[in-house]
Amino acid sequence: MKHHISFTINGQSMELTVLSHQTLLEVIRNDLRLTGAKHGCSTGECGACSVIMNGEVVNACMVLAPEVDGTDILTVEGLSDGEELHPLQKSFIDHHGVQCGYCAPGMLISAKALLSRTSRPHEEEIREALVGNLCRCGAYADIIKSIQVASRARR
Amino acid sequence: METRDLKPFHYIRPESLQEAGRYLASEEAVKLLGGGNTLLLQIRSGQESPDILLDVKHLPGFGDVRYHHNQGLKLGAAVNLQHLVVGLEIRRHYPLLHQTAQKLASPQVRNRATIGGTLAWASPISELAAAMLCYDAVCHTWSPRGHREIPLAEFYLGDYQTALARDEIITHVHLPPFPNRTYGIYHRQTVRHDGRRMIAGAAVLAYRKQQALTHWRIAVLGMDNRPKRIPDAEAVLEGTPGEAEIARALEIVQEQIHPADVDYARADYRRASLNALLKQAITEVIHHLQSIRS
Repeated sequence: MKHHISFTINGQSMELTVLSHQTLLEVIRNDLRLTGAKHGCSTGECGACSVIMNGEVVNACMVLAPEVDGTDILTVEGLSDGEELHPLQKSFIDHHGVQCGYCAPGMLISAKALLSRTSRPHEEEIREALVGNLCRCGAYADIIKSIQVASRARR
Repeated sequence: METRDLKPFHYIRPESLQEAGRYLASEEAVKLLGGGNTLLLQIRSGQESPDILLDVKHLPGFGDVRYHHNQGLKLGAAVNLQHLVVGLEIRRHYPLLHQTAQKLASPQVRNRATIGGTLAWASPISELAAAMLCYDAVCHTWSPRGHREIPLAEFYLGDYQTALARDEIITHVHLPPFPNRTYGIYHRQTVRHDGRRMIAGAAVLAYRKQQALTHWRIAVLGMDNRPKRIPDAEAVLEGTPGEAEIARALEIVQEQIHPADVDYARADYRRASLNALLKQAITEVIHHLQSIRS
């Protein structure tokens, strides 16, 4: 079954025809060629495909494409302001928040969602916000530090 | 990731309960879609192969949250679990629900998971159900035969089965109002921080009436084929429970649970874990309620 959907992605209006059983992750990676969000576990555990939908972080592999109609989506590609990286992205580079990099787009998206609610999160709040994002390199300490430093710099 | 990993189905967003009812009455294999956290997994694994997914999140009233001090709390079936974490009326009037919701899965999952979907999934380790059982939640449903109210304590039949008929939909959940001097605690032991691999979980609630502690609620999960209350143990705690009453309540709980061995914890370990969590929760509720100035 086909659906015509219109939505906003990274500030741009978009109209697409999708199938009932396509996921948001398939749409952004395959149709829109935005490959920042990664395909990880397909079970909603790893968070590699995290995107922000209407202001809230979700797993794009667990959202059906027709559900996206009328929503506002932010992917990791939408974080930077043109060539100017987002403070979180800069901080991940400066403080080694990226090891192999596979989890990084999801981590950045979860961090972005956290900072839009809580401008100066405690370490515990950062850990809670990252419960749904797994890093198989085990770089959590540096990821948390990157987010802490970015939140302090943002003031 | 070029291949589409979900088998084809039709996604339909009904505009009314009557329209949803017509689909449910049809010959097609129809599944209700809430947050999809479980359903999409089942489709991916081949456990379910529905013809139609009915997205009930946009039905009228399904997103409602209403609190009134005389009437209590109405939560629409499509309200997401994250609302239980951030909603002011939940934090203020149903703190056990707020505290439990904070521990559920992850922000990604909570932002999508719905109250109706989570309750209808009827997992034996449903932490949401344990908190809701303590607050005497009632499921309100609709079917072509009319509206029905099912107390949550009667809703779970065990092994993921519920009292819902095939064509019945949860419209909202109602929690009665509770006095200000109500206190509840939820403790759990899991292998993983996101709540997966549950060893044991226990929710306890009571309120204070003059000097007496009353309306005790003990709900356990992971100990049976459904989350359940232990009314016999609750009764022992009525009044001013001391060490003997607490010990007796814990004993009754042990008599009425049937935990299974799982690959990460043996049944006797799960019993011991529950006992420790429950003892701590009961003691904390007593201390908190007794410390309130009369």
